[in-house]
Amino acid sequence: MAAHGTSTAQDGTSAASPHVYTASAAHGHAVTAVTDTTPAGGTPVVPAPAEQPGPALSAQTTSPAGRVSATSRGRSRFPRSLRPSTWLPTTVSVVVVALAWSWVASENKYLLPPLSAVGDLLVEDSALFASNAWATLQIAIVGLGIGFGAAFVLAVVMSEIGVLRRAIMPLAIVLNVTPVVALAPALVVAFGFGMTPKVIVTAIITFFPVLINVTTGLRSVPVPVLHVFSTLHASRLEVLLRLRMPSALPFTLAALRVVLPLSIVGAVVAEFVAPGSSSGLGTMIKTSAANSQLAQLYAAIAWLAAMGVVMLLLITVIEKRLLFWHESQQGATS
Amino acid sequence: MSAEAVAPAPGAAGALAPHVVADPDHIVVRGLHKTYPGTSVAALSDVELVVPRGTFVSLIGPSGCGKSTLLRAVAGLEGFDDGSITIFGATPEEACTAKSVGLVPQAPALLPWLTVRQNVELPHKVNRRADRRRAERERKHPVPSSPGLDAFADVDSLLDMVNLTDAADKHPGALSGGMQQRVAIARAFGLRPEILLMDEPFSALDEFTREALRLQLLTLWQRMRTTVLFVTHSVREAVTLSDQVVVMSARPGQVHEVIDVDLPRPRGADVLLSPQLHTIEDRVRASLQGAWEAGAAPVDLVAG
Repeated sequence: MAAHGTSTAQDGTSAASPHVYTASAAHGHAVTAVTDTTPAGGTPVVPAPAEQPGPALSAQTTSPAGRVSATSRGRSRFPRSLRPSTWLPTTVSVVVVALAWSWVASENKYLLPPLSAVGDLLVEDSALFASNAWATLQIAIVGLGIGFGAAFVLAVVMSEIGVLRRAIMPLAIVLNVTPVVALAPALVVAFGFGMTPKVIVTAIITFFPVLINVTTGLRSVPVPVLHVFSTLHASRLEVLLRLRMPSALPFTLAALRVVLPLSIVGAVVAEFVAPGSSSGLGTMIKTSAANSQLAQLYAAIAWLAAMGVVMLLLITVIEKRLLFWHESQQGATS
Repeated sequence: MSAEAVAPAPGAAGALAPHVVADPDHIVVRGLHKTYPGTSVAALSDVELVVPRGTFVSLIGPSGCGKSTLLRAVAGLEGFDDGSITIFGATPEEACTAKSVGLVPQAPALLPWLTVRQNVELPHKVNRRADRRRAERERKHPVPSSPGLDAFADVDSLLDMVNLTDAADKHPGALSGGMQQRVAIARAFGLRPEILLMDEPFSALDEFTREALRLQLLTLWQRMRTTVLFVTHSVREAVTLSDQVVVMSARPGQVHEVIDVDLPRPRGADVLLSPQLHTIEDRVRASLQGAWEAGAAPVDLVAG
């Protein structure tokens, strides 16, 4: 197999590379050496390196599986995510922060808990944190769903009916500049200590970014395209569904990117202000703080951060799938 | 929903004066006036134009002569202050309602989330009522079927005609500017429109691509000799494509002269090298020079 792959490459040009690629699937390591010796396509390959055990062996011993496929694909010896220039700065900064944290924690245990204590708690009480995280996540998701849905529908209605835009927009702006936290106690009075006031707070927090972005998106249709639809005598509904809604998709997803982490912020803040139920990471943070249980407090924060990261990953994947046609995704390969 | 997308210009619908005879075989523009709000000079002043069915007419002139405004008015996209436009006896709005107006704007105006094929099919997805009416009309008054024309009704053969078969499942973002504009042209021809309005469709392209697209457009038009109004800045383009070149002058926008292009058809690369073409080009250039010098001065109108 390796010999076959080499002889194909010997035929000369980069056109042989598909063969090399297929061969690499079966005989990865040997071929690795071959492609390594053909940096610029066109030069005939000297078969010698393939037969030398040296580089092939070293590839075998030092590189993870991902490296081989990356080598056969491109010029670089690493896929981008494994290149030191990608992961090294992050690693260094994380280590520096951890060291600084540990130093502060060892100096004064009321400033920061030791990282080991936080880690132990995360492992030991994982079920407790998970159930509290689920309680918070429920509030976040339901609140986000309501806030997003209401804002989207309203944005569509406002973009179609100018009178309603002038009627609603000022109210929405006032609602946006009002600190929602200040509204929460009133909501508790109105709706009790259950889930309702928390969901409402989250919905209000997530409402405005969606409203503004979707409104902008629905209007961001190039005039020539509108002209084409107009000469076809397309109905308003057809323009909305076939033109405005898809045009607004990048804006809608950009809003989601902002609003998904914001929904968790909303849920936690609501739990601070409107306690009552004994579950939720926000409630947990509040009681831990009252009891000076710093380790538990930071463990809860770690969970919140992790939830935010997962949500961002989720929205990135969705954007890649839905917005393959949009400028924002160009050049965002690998 | 009863209300319509971009409200067609009020003037376009209402201004059809009763004394205008609706001509079923001509596009008739009579005494068209248009002044943009806030400007003192008329964008269009007493524009008269008669275009017989099946002719290819170019509008050319210095910027500000109102050629694009005139085109948009014919498309029902822009209102006007006075005068009338009829497209084979119908108002621009009626023509759009019947989906008999094809538009190729300067920018390709494709939907980036649809494939090339879906973009070409788009006109058949909206305003389906017009398609049903058309089918009914053709059942009652069968038009003699010709393979050349039927090819425009089929997306695959349409894509083949503009050499886009290989790109059918690609998205516009993956295409060059020339290919995108070919998609837009295929989309407009696929409508089998009674009138095709093209607003400087090649002006954003490089010279080689432009040359190739002109020839391709000539071939398409040879197969479906619909009426074309073609706005351009290029004398070469106007003469190569057209039966008539309408030279317009600016401030106010008026028709300066209508020049017949009596080059034989079908026109291929050989005709484009003929000395006759250069003679006509020189005539158009001289006329443009005159239109330029006329400027704001009153000019005798020459209506076609």
